[in-house]
Amino acid sequence: MSTFTVVVVLSLLALAVVLAAIRVWKGPSSGNSAVAGDLIFFVFIGTVAVLGVVFEIDSVMDIILISALLGFLSVLSLARWMQGGKR
Amino acid sequence: MTPEIVSFIGSAFMVLGAFIIATAAIGLIKLPDVYTRTSAVGTAAGLGVSFMIIGVVVLDYSTLNLIKGIIAIIAQLITSAIGSFMLARASYMTGGKPVETTVPDELADQS
Repeated sequence: MSTFTVVVVLSLLALAVVLAAIRVWKGPSSGNSAVAGDLIFFVFIGTVAVLGVVFEIDSVMDIILISALLGFLSVLSLARWMQGGKR
Repeated sequence: MTPEIVSFIGSAFMVLGAFIIATAAIGLIKLPDVYTRTSAVGTAAGLGVSFMIIGVVVLDYSTLNLIKGIIAIIAQLITSAIGSFMLARASYMTGGKPVETTVPDELADQS
């Protein structure tokens, strides 16, 4: 990837994480904050993908695979916490 | 294909995926209630991460990476949908009211 492409992709991801952080800050309910935290995790996967390609890390696909498989558990546990343990 | 074309296609997938994720973040700010925000994140971010995985596979191609990428995309699409569904359900059950233009509110009629 060219340097310009890397700058564009990382700028878009940084914009996304700033807007999501604003939503975490403002709320107004815990559900809104949990949704924004979910988006921040997706931005993390994207950042790992970009930096893994730029620095030619061999295990980047393994990290993405494990993140995609297990990342939803955090959102699931947040949802269970919001309901107070009830189903 | 020449390496320049392959690099261009992979870069285009990366930029498209990052753009879709940024669109989800803009929706997170502009949309009115928690259910529409959940919809924006669950669909757009799942699709954006899938495009970025395609970009990584194109830029760093091998057969093993292709298999891992296909598994990761399928898992990403399924689990982002499950996470959004659970969050929206938890929000409704803890009393979060949808915005007033949500008519009819069929879940309120049931219980």
